[in-house]
Amino acid sequence: MFIFTKMTQIPVRINNKNPKLASYILSQYGGPDGELGASLRYLSQRFAQTDKSGIALLTDIGTEELGHLEMIGSIVTQLTKGEGARSFDRYGVGDYYIDHANGVYPASASGVPFSAAYLQSKADPIADIMEDMAAEQKARATYDNILRMCDDPDVTNVIRYLREREVVHFQRFGDTNRTDLKVFFT
Amino acid sequence: MENNRQLTAAQLMRKVSEAMFYVTDLNLYLDTHPDDTRALRMFAEAAENAKACTEAFEKRCYPLTVCSAECDDNWEWLVGVWPSQKMS
Repeated sequence: MFIFTKMTQIPVRINNKNPKLASYILSQYGGPDGELGASLRYLSQRFAQTDKSGIALLTDIGTEELGHLEMIGSIVTQLTKGEGARSFDRYGVGDYYIDHANGVYPASASGVPFSAAYLQSKADPIADIMEDMAAEQKARATYDNILRMCDDPDVTNVIRYLREREVVHFQRFGDTNRTDLKVFFT
Repeated sequence: MENNRQLTAAQLMRKVSEAMFYVTDLNLYLDTHPDDTRALRMFAEAAENAKACTEAFEKRCYPLTVCSAECDDNWEWLVGVWPSQKMS
């Protein structure tokens, strides 16, 4: 089960407002390589894992990704807090305001709603772990793109941290015991 | 821990974040290296430290998990900075 802890992995403290930047960062909430897809992917794949180490890793990384989803939601909220329709419009994201106002909605930066089609669960440890490693790199690349668009240090601090966690997760998935997985090919 | 009294809520939270981060990182490593005795020793120490930092924060500020919420005359769980809010 999950027990909620009333804190984020690192503090999220954004002083400036920027609805446009918020709409870019929202992609890591509900976009194709975002944290919602990551957590659902790992927390779903683990049910078919038989190796204890693999089950633990998918559970623990999936749980951390849920925490990252919360951090992204917090960045988006703080970047748009108190901003009204005109401000969203001036920043070029009036269309988001029409549908969601100041709400955080799981969608990509280009406005496509979240879809479970972003992830797979194949009950095949090799296929799943390879997808997971690729997913971590795609998330890392998305964070790189956000960093190219962002010059607010309050935001880049958190984004850099989240980017680094993708690299660590990639390495941890790479450490899974593939020799035990041979059983699936006999 | 003896000089915690001078620390602000944000500084105490930073200590909790750092301690919990160390726990999380060792946790993931140990999932795939369960026999690494050095990492096991580090984890034991990290977990102990995280517990102490959390207790120090909760004693001075507000509950981080629902089981630490006091309920003498009001519901203390509502107190504090929720992740959607900004800590001052």
